[in-house]
Amino acid sequence: MEGNGTRAAASPRERNVLLLDLSKSMLAPLPEPQNGHAEHQKIEVARTAVFRILQDAAASGTLFGLVTFTETVRVPVPLGEIRRENLPYIENLISMLAPSGRSAIWDAMAVGADLLRMGTDGVRGNLVLVTDGWDNASQRFDVRASSGTSLGAGRLDLGPYLLPANSRLTLRIIGIGNGAERDKGVDAGRMNQFLAQLTDRAQQLGLPPAFSFQEVTTGSALFAQMVHAFIDVGYEGDQAIEELHPEELARHAASAARALKEPQQHATVSRIQPGRMSTPPAAEAAYREAPEMEIDVVAAGPAGAPAYLKERYGPLGEVVEAYLSGQYDRALELLARSQAVLPPVTQLYWEARVQFARHAVVEAARALLQAWTEAERLPEASQVPILRRLAMLQARMQNDKETETLVKFIDNTEHGLAQSDPKTRERLMALFGKLMELRGTYQLTRLAGEGDLQDAALKHEAAVEEVFSLLQDARLDLSVGGPVIEGALDFIEICLAEMR
Amino acid sequence: MAEVKVTTRTRRVAGSKRAAKPSIDTTRIAVVGIPASGKTTYFRFLSGHFGLNLPILYIPSRADNGTLPLFGDLENDVALEETTYETTDPTDPEGSLETTTRFYVNRPMEDRRKLWVELSAGREDQGILTKYPLPTKFNQFVEMKMRFRYGAPGGEAGSRPMELQTIDEAGGIISDYFTYDRLWLDTVEGEVSEKTCRVIPHFDSWRPDRRDLWRRGLTLLGRFVTGADAIILLLSPSLASLRDQAQQVNLARGVFRYVKSRNLPLVIAISKSDKLKEFYGEIEHAVRERTFLSTFDPVDFLLRRDGAGMGTILVAQEGRGLSMKEDVFLVSSAVSTGEGHPLFVGESGEEAPNAGAPTMGVPVMVNTTLPLARACERVLERRATKER
Repeated sequence: MEGNGTRAAASPRERNVLLLDLSKSMLAPLPEPQNGHAEHQKIEVARTAVFRILQDAAASGTLFGLVTFTETVRVPVPLGEIRRENLPYIENLISMLAPSGRSAIWDAMAVGADLLRMGTDGVRGNLVLVTDGWDNASQRFDVRASSGTSLGAGRLDLGPYLLPANSRLTLRIIGIGNGAERDKGVDAGRMNQFLAQLTDRAQQLGLPPAFSFQEVTTGSALFAQMVHAFIDVGYEGDQAIEELHPEELARHAASAARALKEPQQHATVSRIQPGRMSTPPAAEAAYREAPEMEIDVVAAGPAGAPAYLKERYGPLGEVVEAYLSGQYDRALELLARSQAVLPPVTQLYWEARVQFARHAVVEAARALLQAWTEAERLPEASQVPILRRLAMLQARMQNDKETETLVKFIDNTEHGLAQSDPKTRERLMALFGKLMELRGTYQLTRLAGEGDLQDAALKHEAAVEEVFSLLQDARLDLSVGGPVIEGALDFIEICLAEMR
Repeated sequence: MAEVKVTTRTRRVAGSKRAAKPSIDTTRIAVVGIPASGKTTYFRFLSGHFGLNLPILYIPSRADNGTLPLFGDLENDVALEETTYETTDPTDPEGSLETTTRFYVNRPMEDRRKLWVELSAGREDQGILTKYPLPTKFNQFVEMKMRFRYGAPGGEAGSRPMELQTIDEAGGIISDYFTYDRLWLDTVEGEVSEKTCRVIPHFDSWRPDRRDLWRRGLTLLGRFVTGADAIILLLSPSLASLRDQAQQVNLARGVFRYVKSRNLPLVIAISKSDKLKEFYGEIEHAVRERTFLSTFDPVDFLLRRDGAGMGTILVAQEGRGLSMKEDVFLVSSAVSTGEGHPLFVGESGEEAPNAGAPTMGVPVMVNTTLPLARACERVLERRATKER
């Protein structure tokens, strides 16, 4: 594990610390007013969400730390890289976290800030606090009730400690329950005052104010706040790149090339913009207050849904489970119930997918159209892969095999390279982007009149040559990259040959 | 061919340069194409033409009655020379190669029917009947040289000795070499490195002996084309496999880049053109009706009806060292009636019956000499320009 402050150049988005309340009140059940949903203890929901966050951190390679607090603050998972092989031990540790005692919220936030502190660069990273109560046990830190009021005796002001100069901190507070009455829920008033003070301080220091408070009152809402996800499942008959026979790969590539060569018949391709082919690295993404969305494609085996869907994805997992078992009406019912807690694009996509499975084409098309609109509003990091999933569904709905093949291949490649060097991933996705750009030059050769044809053909051939040159460099540099990389390069090479 | 003489069998250490036979002012034209693009057939039938004067049909019909300034090299006596380079032991640390040379000489055979069998047998039969011990693909290459003479029209010095060359049984190597310009050699002493070979898909996953042989083949080919004066690119139409199609397109694009970077004349021969239905119709008509004058328009056929599946690639090259009208030819070295039956013409020049008793007949070749004559013409034109 990597300790505090050892990665001086790391970006705030790569460093996440979760502060989890383990006071006794977390044992209380969280209401689930919708029919068919069992009540769960707050701690159960929080634990499930933490498992999911950890799995995601292990997959993405981001740094993650966990701070728990009662009247004592502990650091069960110091800030560092979550290695996949360590996941079972960490998860086991989290399952043993048992609530008891009171809440030292402010002291816990200070410890979280310490994990993210980077010397003179201030506090850098993302801090997420999950609590259901009021601070009643902090001994070192306090928060002013309002500007100018005094702090508790001998205690430090949390605001400046949390946000020193040069910091790049985002703070999300997820408050469980309505705290109008003391000890029945989070102290929303105090939290909002604190965030207002932090915002003032950020403005004084010229820092971006990136602080939010979200109150949740049901188990589903808590899970959805902690795990903001878009998940999808593959389609029947999907084959991994590395499993394709070379001639099959060539057939796929030739089919995909038709999607590039005939834009009128394959309009969906235009929604996948070449310049936005790859998911931008987190460090480059513009800051947004909305939580980052997790995007995952779950492999559905011959036996149906993976067993852990519900546990990993909460209400959305239940929808997917029902879908995979062919219970489309139930899936729609569950989707409608979860509407409030699911990101709109996720909800609309799944509505389209389920409706399509039910052969309700009009309803499916309507939902998908709305999903496209919602996707356009997403931050770029989430948008790129989600657009591809929407394009795939649309192509399937239109029986456009060529587009489906093209988009699926690009998506599979990025998915297959999730664990590889980000530069390699970017390089391959940029190559796919260049391949997509050939649509333009090729189209000109089709539209050009007799006199201009040669000029258009010349430009197209020059563009092909440029991509081919990049492809050769990639072959030389990535020759030991593995079957996914080789499959992608073979695919691009055959597509290039088809663009004639 | 008339007679096959298997002569030498030598053992050489890899990398050592073979002493070139002295040839004064010989012009070398390299023939390149993907596997099964027709390189062997092209060579053997042309040799048949020079050795046995096999007739050639021209489509469209030629106003000059098919007169071309191409001649057999009677002084040399050898029409075709095939040298097989074979690794006897791929694990040999010295990497030795054994060579076997066959000379096809300029003397007619008694049985022309047998000649056809030798020339047109399928790949499987070739191994049994006449050719090299199987398997040929992974342990050997064959260097083919055809000697002939070309007399430039109006030339003062008469005809000149010329050589048409290819590395046979190496279509894969030829394709890779031209497709991936990172492999190109600049000198006749150059060597393709193991590292640059990684530009070839999945190269690292091959068996070490195959990798080594491939690298040597690339080096041999690289040196061979470095010294070439012109290139004839054989393109095969109607390829069923998408991978083969991609390989051919990549090769073609690579050859265009190569000749441009080296300023070499390029001539394209669309081989096996009898597979193209419209073209076959013309052949059949010309064979059945001796007075038929074909006005078939190859340029229109290739560009507007995409006869070779090359589409915009050919269009882009027009006027950039290549003229669609003058440098692209539809050829067929051994016309087939389909189902493996060769199309013969009898003594009278009409189609020989396929059934019944064996008939004396010669295989139908179409336009086979045209790309060669054009390549020679362009080489000599270029030389004349340089001399001026």
